[in-house]
Amino acid sequence: MSDGSPYIRIDNVSRRYGPVCALEDLSVEIEQDEFIAILGPSGSGKSTLLRLIAGLDQPSTGKIFFKGQDVTDLPPHKRGIGMVFQEFLLFPHRTVRENLAFPLRMTKETPAKIAARLDWVEGVLSLGGLMDRYPNQLSGGQQQRVALGRGLVAHPTLLLLDEPLANLDRELRQEMEVEIRRYQKQLGIPFIYVTHNQEEALSMSDRVAVIHKGRLEAMGERQAIYDHPATPFVARFVGKSTRFDAVVEASGSSARLLHYNYSLPLDNTAALKPGAHVDVFVKNERFDMKPWEEERPGIPCAIVDVVLRGPFFEYILETDRRDRIIAVQPKRAEPIPIASRMLLSWNASQCHVFPVAG
Amino acid sequence: MTGARYLQPRMYLHIPTLFLFLFFILPLIALVILSFWQTENYKIVRDWTILNYETLATVPAYITFFFRSLVMAIGVSLFLVVLSWPIAFFIVRYGGRFKLVLSLLLVIPFLSGEVLRLIALQGMLGPAGLVNGALVRLGGVPLRFIMYSDTASFIAFVYLYLPMVVTTIYLSLLNFDFRLASAASACGAGKFRIFIEVIWPLNLSGTLIGFLLSFIPTLSASLVPRFLGGPNGTLYGMSMAQQFGESGTWALGAAMGVVLFLFSAGALAILSLGVNLRRTGFTGMGRQ
Repeated sequence: MSDGSPYIRIDNVSRRYGPVCALEDLSVEIEQDEFIAILGPSGSGKSTLLRLIAGLDQPSTGKIFFKGQDVTDLPPHKRGIGMVFQEFLLFPHRTVRENLAFPLRMTKETPAKIAARLDWVEGVLSLGGLMDRYPNQLSGGQQQRVALGRGLVAHPTLLLLDEPLANLDRELRQEMEVEIRRYQKQLGIPFIYVTHNQEEALSMSDRVAVIHKGRLEAMGERQAIYDHPATPFVARFVGKSTRFDAVVEASGSSARLLHYNYSLPLDNTAALKPGAHVDVFVKNERFDMKPWEEERPGIPCAIVDVVLRGPFFEYILETDRRDRIIAVQPKRAEPIPIASRMLLSWNASQCHVFPVAG
Repeated sequence: MTGARYLQPRMYLHIPTLFLFLFFILPLIALVILSFWQTENYKIVRDWTILNYETLATVPAYITFFFRSLVMAIGVSLFLVVLSWPIAFFIVRYGGRFKLVLSLLLVIPFLSGEVLRLIALQGMLGPAGLVNGALVRLGGVPLRFIMYSDTASFIAFVYLYLPMVVTTIYLSLLNFDFRLASAASACGAGKFRIFIEVIWPLNLSGTLIGFLLSFIPTLSASLVPRFLGGPNGTLYGMSMAQQFGESGTWALGAAMGVVLFLFSAGALAILSLGVNLRRTGFTGMGRQ
């Protein structure tokens, strides 16, 4: 943008339904050619945010700007957006060709331009041979591609995707993740991708916005969100992790787990007082597992089961207190046999410590 | 054991088939046969002839009655579709948890008999009825066109069949996935375009069923014109009823019945074959 304003600006937007606050005072700025994932559990308000950006719903307060222009009061069809829905929502009474031509006809493009765009989208999304079928004659993955094509065909200002892969099977989903990211890079328009699936969010996006209970919990580069969660919620929700109760020791520079004889150094930037209760989050793949030995620091536990996950082993461990912990280790050799007694520890710089509220 | 299992599903089909054959197909065949016979002095004469059909095709009165009925049926049904759409749309979109109650309210007139409802309408529309009575009292001139006229019949038909048409369109809209309208909106379609391109075509089959549910009974109606049509409002069905009653010309009446049957079947065929079900989103597999 020549004037330096962000491509999309969401400015202090709230949405209330009666007494229920679906979104509270949310501000996000999105640059052109960015792939943004909006990640949150169901009911977090992430779909509401998408509907507000699309214009399918109006914010109670706040403004939304596209390229510096206030679009808050514009209906969806005047915003120049593309949208892909979880349920695809193709027009069942129209062929693939007619579905794809629909957005172009709405903007009154010339027949020549419509034909050119249809050729383009047919090529980009490899829809050859499907153009004259009806949606119910297509497989889920094909319907998904048509839905994407319908969202992209009119070269929108931005593309909104509402859990578009949720109805596809795992293999297809991973294939589509790569595809969708490729289209985004090719077209150079922002994609805003709503999902409750953190793997999807992390694999596709440039930046991730984590939404919880209508609030923006964190927004940042995907790696930063994963490695340096800003809030306990993010630590819990992004990546699979285990939480331990701990208490700050008298020195103030270490914390001791409440239920285990294990303490870890604490770079006490938050100036936690000795005796303060803290939550320690450790990502499942950050655990160190060693054979059990007396007198070494760590949490003693036994292997209950081993789950094979492609290049990883997922060890299901049980501590002496019968707590279950999952530790993921790269697959190097044979798995450690079940019932082996192990000692669990982790590098203190790899875990995340948050004071317990209240 | 296996025999019984094999029989059971067939029973479901055989009982209704038998019923339909006895009480639907056989009477129809009887009607067709009778229409090719004659009646003289209240007696059936079993001579094969097409005289009845000749009479219907040449006597001006019957031709008038028929076209009056046809125009009435088309007009009433079109008007009902236009009137019912906003009502059904409103109930589905804004009825909220009262949807069911609102749609049941439409059935209230059915709680009384048809004759009773027509007599009530007579009271409303007649020379000393509520509407004209009030007009005269207020010093106005009574509305002649609603007294025993085709207009009165028209109003009565609309009143009688409104619940049918609203209910069919309501059911169609109830099954319509309104998120498709959101999708169209996100594709750049304004309200009017969304209606024309998505909502209307995807509810066309329901609308046509509503149309036929008022068209067919209006075409053959006999009670409405008798109560409200007045001297110049005789419709085909009313004339047919007279053949079986006062005049005792059953064979001619049977021929009229066959004509009505053929025309109704024709309307059904035109509307169902003329509409490409695919283009109304009908897949035969429910909503997808």
